[in-house]
Amino acid sequence: MLKRLITGLTTLAMLTSGCATMQSSRSSRLDLIKKRGVLVCGVSGKIPGFSYLNTQGKYEGLDVDICKAVASAILEDPNKVQYRPLTAPERFTALKTGEIDILSRNTTFNLSRDSIQGNGVTFAPVIFHDGQGIMVSKASQIKNINDLRSRNICVGSGTTTEQNLNDTFQENGIRYTPIKYQDLNQVVAGYLSGRCSAMTSDRSQLAAARSSFSNPDRHIILEEVLSKEPLAPASIGGDQKLSDALRWVIYTLIATDEFGINSRNIDTKLAIAKSNPNLSSLRRLLGVDGELGNKIGISNNFVVNIVKSTGNYSEIYNRHLGPGSNVEIPRGLNHTYKNGGLLISPPFK
Amino acid sequence: MNLLKKNNSQKDINLKHLTTSSTNSLPQKINPFNIRILTRDFFSNPLDTTLTVALIFISILGSVNILEWLIYKANWNIVTKNINLFIVGSYPKEYSWRPISWLLIILIISITTLYTNLFKSRRYLIWIIIIPLGIYLHSGGLGLKPLPTDIWGGLSLTLILTLSSGAIAFPLGILLALGKQSEITLVRFVCKIYIEVIRSLPLIAVLFFGQLLIPLFLPMEVEINRVSRAVLAFAIFAASYIAEDIRGGLQAIPKTQCEAAEALGLSKRQIFFQILLPQSIRTALPSLTNQAIGLLQNTSLMAILGLVELLGISRSLLANPEFIGLYLETYVWLAFIYWIICSIMSLLAKKLENELRINQAKE
Repeated sequence: MLKRLITGLTTLAMLTSGCATMQSSRSSRLDLIKKRGVLVCGVSGKIPGFSYLNTQGKYEGLDVDICKAVASAILEDPNKVQYRPLTAPERFTALKTGEIDILSRNTTFNLSRDSIQGNGVTFAPVIFHDGQGIMVSKASQIKNINDLRSRNICVGSGTTTEQNLNDTFQENGIRYTPIKYQDLNQVVAGYLSGRCSAMTSDRSQLAAARSSFSNPDRHIILEEVLSKEPLAPASIGGDQKLSDALRWVIYTLIATDEFGINSRNIDTKLAIAKSNPNLSSLRRLLGVDGELGNKIGISNNFVVNIVKSTGNYSEIYNRHLGPGSNVEIPRGLNHTYKNGGLLISPPFK
Repeated sequence: MNLLKKNNSQKDINLKHLTTSSTNSLPQKINPFNIRILTRDFFSNPLDTTLTVALIFISILGSVNILEWLIYKANWNIVTKNINLFIVGSYPKEYSWRPISWLLIILIISITTLYTNLFKSRRYLIWIIIIPLGIYLHSGGLGLKPLPTDIWGGLSLTLILTLSSGAIAFPLGILLALGKQSEITLVRFVCKIYIEVIRSLPLIAVLFFGQLLIPLFLPMEVEINRVSRAVLAFAIFAASYIAEDIRGGLQAIPKTQCEAAEALGLSKRQIFFQILLPQSIRTALPSLTNQAIGLLQNTSLMAILGLVELLGISRSLLANPEFIGLYLETYVWLAFIYWIICSIMSLLAKKLENELRINQAKE
């Protein structure tokens, strides 16, 4: 009796999972997004400058603008996005099970997350080059990681941050006590309450957190960088149509930055491109010539749509992280290659 | 000499106290400002006096500090500027009258239930109607503009989750309790397995399953919204506990009542609905109230699964650069809201308990 029940259940499970995989191999999520008319975008919802709720109850930030850019490319409307706030441990499960279409949530690009054996997601190009740092208070007289011997360090659990901290300190043979918290805001609260002598996180997040302290100049970020943290959006593995579209949306933001095309001059640039048949690369980029959009399953004027709704990469960066914003982070590696940074887009050909 | 006098006077008081209590067996109401009793209880010897003074000093210091923080130091901007978000979440402004009026209706009905006798006979019906009304007002349709569930949030989402999962869990729990007493082996077996399995799982695992794994079993095109999935997960979980509470109530009823009813020729259905169920609910009411309050507080677990109910919306607001670092204010505010709602719930339960007791006395 019990045996028969188990066999039955297993068959049922196999059947349903079989259905699910067959479905996904037949059609792309890109078509589903178009049919649904809404992009479901996984964000953090809890990272200053990257994604948070404003007083109008709308999500804002760099990660959120990536979602908007994708929605304006696929659905031609930056507002057709449903935001799913996700915590770090559940983000890949949500992507894998189809809870969300794309993940735009401060996610570090690395091999095990990319591989089929690992998390099995496909990463888009890097949208923010970050690195892990350590923040201490000036009064503590801590100058480098050797001074942190047998001290408490606040860290977010389940993140690459925790692993990097462990690796670096193991390598140097320094003993320390990690105090683990679930998200960055709790790490900050733990550090400020004196629970730890240092806190570690990506340097961008440390800077963001520090800008909110009542006396930011009493805290310093150590010179040592524990890791490189290229943050990139991601989509589910094995869905080339969607990952191509996502990839070229990011490249659009970078390429328009290189070309000096922004939301203010896009109309004039478009007019110039239309009237001047010699500007072949600009014409291809703006969808006047060629079928670039069609090749990745979205409309040919996707570049124009994106720039009109969110602007190019510089505009997005300056809006949320640039000087004058609430969370100012020096741009550094996040300039385009022409300005000494690492951002570069392959040609739109 | 002095000490002796003091002891003597103390004996006097003790003696008087004794005589009064022995002449009158009912506990007397003691005037809390009676100086003699105060002195006797708090300042009888040097140790007592030091302890009392120290405690008074600490509590005054503590309350002054807390009041000072509440009034001067705390930055209540995060609450005042976002009050709308705390109440209805990201619900669009032009439609926010819908959830708000639902909340007001609940408040009005709670107050009338507690302090008046209006619609007394139809009160249960009104409370049952509230739930579909809330879902209708939130989701729209039939003349109202349909709005998706992902913009629901704040207090109204917390209450929707609590009330609708409670409404599913309660009858399900009764059915399970009944099934566990059933004479059919298979039914009894299934109910038992259900209750045992669900009770051995932590709630967060059930919620994770509902939010993240159910979509895996469904084809890509079928999408169930996460609010319904959360409601189902909560209901499935709470039902097993409610079933056990009701079963406890059923067991408290002497078997002779059933036999008497059978002898009178009542049908099985009549016996259950008119004799067993009302009595078992009456007995189980205190623990059912516990379940209801627990259910309300458990909905805050959805914050880590991405629903922006009260706790979720607070955590998102705390990331807004404008309000970073105002944790204490936010959590004190949340505690206040939860305390208000839970107090209303326990008052309602007490009222219901009293009414049932009166009915019982009448019978």
